Amino acid sequence: MDEASSWFMRELERRGVSRRDFLGFCGVMSTALALPRTAGAKIAEAIENKEKPTLVWLEFQDCAGNTESFLRAGRPAVADIVLDTLSVDYHETIMAAAGHQAEAALAQVVADKPGGYIAVVEGSIPTGANGAYCTIGGRAAIDIAKEVCGGALATVAIGTCAAFGGLPAASPNPTGALSVADAVPGLKNLINLPACPANVENLVGTVVYFLTFNRLPPVDRYRRPLFAYGKSIHDNCERRAHYDAGQYVEKWGDEGHRTGYCLYKMGCKGPVTYQNCPSVGWNEGTSWPIGCGHPCIGCAEPEFWDKMTPFYTHLAGFPGFGVHSNVDRVGMWATAGVAAAFAAHGFVQLGKRMAAAGDKAPAVESKPPRKTDKQEEGELS
Amino acid sequence: MRRIWKKHVQEVDLDNVYVWQWPVRITHWMTALSLWILSLTGLYMGYPFLIASGQASEHFLMGTAKLIHFYAAIAFTLSVLSRILWMFMGNWYSRWHRFIPVDRRRWWAMGKTLRYYLFGLRMPPGFVGHNPLAGLTYFFVFIAFLVQIATGLGMYAASAHVDSPFRAFGFLVPVVGGLATAHWIHHITMWLLWMFIVHHVYSAILMSQVEATGTVESIFSGHKFVPREDIVQPGYRLAHPEA
Repeated sequence: MDEASSWFMRELERRGVSRRDFLGFCGVMSTALALPRTAGAKIAEAIENKEKPTLVWLEFQDCAGNTESFLRAGRPAVADIVLDTLSVDYHETIMAAAGHQAEAALAQVVADKPGGYIAVVEGSIPTGANGAYCTIGGRAAIDIAKEVCGGALATVAIGTCAAFGGLPAASPNPTGALSVADAVPGLKNLINLPACPANVENLVGTVVYFLTFNRLPPVDRYRRPLFAYGKSIHDNCERRAHYDAGQYVEKWGDEGHRTGYCLYKMGCKGPVTYQNCPSVGWNEGTSWPIGCGHPCIGCAEPEFWDKMTPFYTHLAGFPGFGVHSNVDRVGMWATAGVAAAFAAHGFVQLGKRMAAAGDKAPAVESKPPRKTDKQEEGELS
Repeated sequence: MRRIWKKHVQEVDLDNVYVWQWPVRITHWMTALSLWILSLTGLYMGYPFLIASGQASEHFLMGTAKLIHFYAAIAFTLSVLSRILWMFMGNWYSRWHRFIPVDRRRWWAMGKTLRYYLFGLRMPPGFVGHNPLAGLTYFFVFIAFLVQIATGLGMYAASAHVDSPFRAFGFLVPVVGGLATAHWIHHITMWLLWMFIVHHVYSAILMSQVEATGTVESIFSGHKFVPREDIVQPGYRLAHPEA
């Protein structure tokens, strides 16, 4: 334990991170995880002393955006080390080994540490054409995922593609792309960290929680950790006051846009999207989409793309009327159409009545009620 | 019972039938009023056409619209649920079987009513309460009401305070296909209901004219005046469907 501790402290020193900075990081983490401030000490102890879990990082149908995000963990610098000190035994994009050597490393982890490593999956898993759309070392992604995730201590589906299918699964989903949860059903200890890309702060948070408490953080119904996905963007938004007041951007670059009004009318998906972007921010907390004047596009939600497009209108279009149709305009015209149809009915009715009044036979009221005919009697008795 | 002189020809005995009991009338008007309020505030929430100027802290436009919307939604939900409950407690005319056509007679008359609407018949088959076509329409309207309630509660639960009991309705969000879809359904269903309202008002006036039983007045008073010889069976009258 001492050895590990000193190794960790030496590593911190080597990178110019003081113990004060390190404890600061632990404090920030306890806040990010919505734990009491005192949990910082426990986190510090866990990070210093726990044996670091082995991690394998699988990339399937993806753009490596989450890897980019992972490599850019920067605030505070200690997060880097937490991620670095995870023993990343396999990661195609950043590992030195290649080809058979690389695949051997993965096979070794799976064989040597059954139930003892964390599998991180990035990208969706294509199932079309018998999995031919994504193969690594001659094996289909779905086979690799089943084997590696099936034997893992925990699986982290990072990014919207891995968590929910994402872009590759958008209609018409030519590759039959599935999320990890759908491709490897019944997976226990699965954590979804959606967003495009996932915010590395949330990966760090998940890892720190795991190291500290030896279990995965509490999750919502989509298996997203509550500390990061417990509140909608809208409810945490720094522009929320403008929403409630009724102050909206109506055109790009208008007065409201320059003043920083709410982007609701520009199609902001904040009200239907769950993530901690407003509080954690991106690029070392520099900013985030709404902070720099662009509406949220809802990238962290299930069925992102299909359900979140078009980006710059609040609601999806009406089927058959094109993506840019407006459901309310369609509804309004349909209602007007119904009104017109009934008005026409009224005119015909009126015309018939007038015609009937002109007849020699008086109006219908004058007729005695007809006795029922046989068939009706049968119905009525 | 009273006797009136009907235009042109003959005297008709009219029976005064108490059709709509007070819970039916109250829930009807509660639902109608809350639908108006919900639609108007809902339209503002979807298309905030008023833009406040000055400091955000000086205004609460959207906040007020939402607040009114939520209170109206509570009134609407209670009204609809009360009416559904009354379908199992009320009189013959308010019961569930006036909405869901379970007997052949109502199926048979439904076709006749439709033919009347398409000018195939001069008179619709007469019913003291809802005619079968109207009843079935209301059945779908109640479905639409429940859809609005479910999507609305789901959306509300999604942003409700952590301690709010409304959180319990969060399970409705995945049921209706996610939050974005819930919004979409909520909008579409509002328009469907407005299409219904257009039809409802028109047909109420039309039936008032052709049946001359005081249809429109009955939702205020509860009473209809029905020609006695038309009443073949309780709740069912036959007004010359083949005429």
